[in-house]
Amino acid sequence: MASGLFSAAAVIAAKDIAVEWRTKTALVSSLVFAILVLAILYFARDATAVSAFEVAPGVLWVTFTFAGMLGLNRAFLLERENHALDGLRLTQATPPAIFLGKMVGNALFIGLVELVSLPLFVLFYNVPIWSRLPMLMLVIAMATLAFVSVGTLLSAMVVRTRFSEVMLPVLLLPFLVPPIVSAVQVTWRILADRPLAEMTGWLSLLGAFDVVFFMLSLMLFEAIIIE
Amino acid sequence: MTRSDTGVVATDVAWRVGYRWILKDISLTVSAGTMTLLVGGNGSGKTSLLRVLAGLARPAKGSVVCHGGIGFVAHHSMLYDSLTGRENLEFVMRLDGGHDPARVNALLAQMGLEHAADRHLGTYSRGMIQRLAIARALLSDPGVLLLDEPLTGLDEAASQIVVDMIERRRSEGHAIIVASHQLVELIGAATEVGYLVSGSLAAWEPVNGGDAGSVMKRLRELAADG
Repeated sequence: MASGLFSAAAVIAAKDIAVEWRTKTALVSSLVFAILVLAILYFARDATAVSAFEVAPGVLWVTFTFAGMLGLNRAFLLERENHALDGLRLTQATPPAIFLGKMVGNALFIGLVELVSLPLFVLFYNVPIWSRLPMLMLVIAMATLAFVSVGTLLSAMVVRTRFSEVMLPVLLLPFLVPPIVSAVQVTWRILADRPLAEMTGWLSLLGAFDVVFFMLSLMLFEAIIIE
Repeated sequence: MTRSDTGVVATDVAWRVGYRWILKDISLTVSAGTMTLLVGGNGSGKTSLLRVLAGLARPAKGSVVCHGGIGFVAHHSMLYDSLTGRENLEFVMRLDGGHDPARVNALLAQMGLEHAADRHLGTYSRGMIQRLAIARALLSDPGVLLLDEPLTGLDEAASQIVVDMIERRRSEGHAIIVASHQLVELIGAATEVGYLVSGSLAAWEPVNGGDAGSVMKRLRELAADG
């Protein structure tokens, strides 16, 4: 049944979601964090000097990035518990299947955090997203793919270190600068209702990061988990 | 039943952490229908050797060939605290491409865990977790079974269940390697003893009716020579 790459990945992702749904540790932490960031950054600006609309794209991606990072930390801490990653490696699931399963689990987790945060973002910043929702969802999906690809690889790398919770942001954030900058640029143009032609360059860049990060992470994962 | 096609062969295996060699030029053959007791002092390389044989650590030199699939019980349970005993076994079974609730139930019963099958692992005692880890290793009916201190945390009755399982699988033709300090309980099931001294395989000898005392004496002699 689960002999194939995708079925093994689905089994691993389903396990991760089931465990997270049971404990809700990272989910609750990430959602509370996202709400706090949205609220704090809204009230921190000088409303007479800077409009909410101008800071909205940056706020959205800062919220998604840091809230998502809390979930990424959780993904491989779960496998460190009782050395469960060794158990995964002893099964017929190949390293690419393990990577895909963890990545899909992370993507679903971060997707849920984004899904809950987005209406709150609209509420706080009063930005018109509903008519541009499909385009915004596309950008969120593309940036999330880049985020979880490299994030899954790096969380597997740092999980055996003593201060993995600190190490992950330090290593991950430099990699995230290009895709997050691209996402902010496209989001700003979407919210300002600019023509698609103004976004294609940034979207192409984001797409290129998706492909490169995903393929590199998939190829390097085995070297990361072998002793 | 015999399984002459099972076993594990290691040739000139060496493994290191950083610049420190943990295992040095180890060659061994574990055949079908044998149970090898791996003995050695703390830090002699028993756990490292089992991890290399299981494929969890890649040797820096040499090769390991395994026939018949490997089941491994390590120091750590490799199980998830947030899942129930049954969910843990079903998860592994699905990753191995199967779905056989009857086999899961049979293994839970064999390890005396049927009453706790639907409880989270967080509520298990150390001994129950160890028994579930052994059930996990047996899920795919592997031809080669590697056990690292399998009796840790087990009471007398549970230890007997594990020793009986080892003897039964050996007589069925499986190849078994057990690393343990609990020689008194295990020597009766062993056919061979491997002596590890400072990362090297100092000797590999048949048991020939020897007892735990004679094995310890031999280990001390080899350690003194090494």
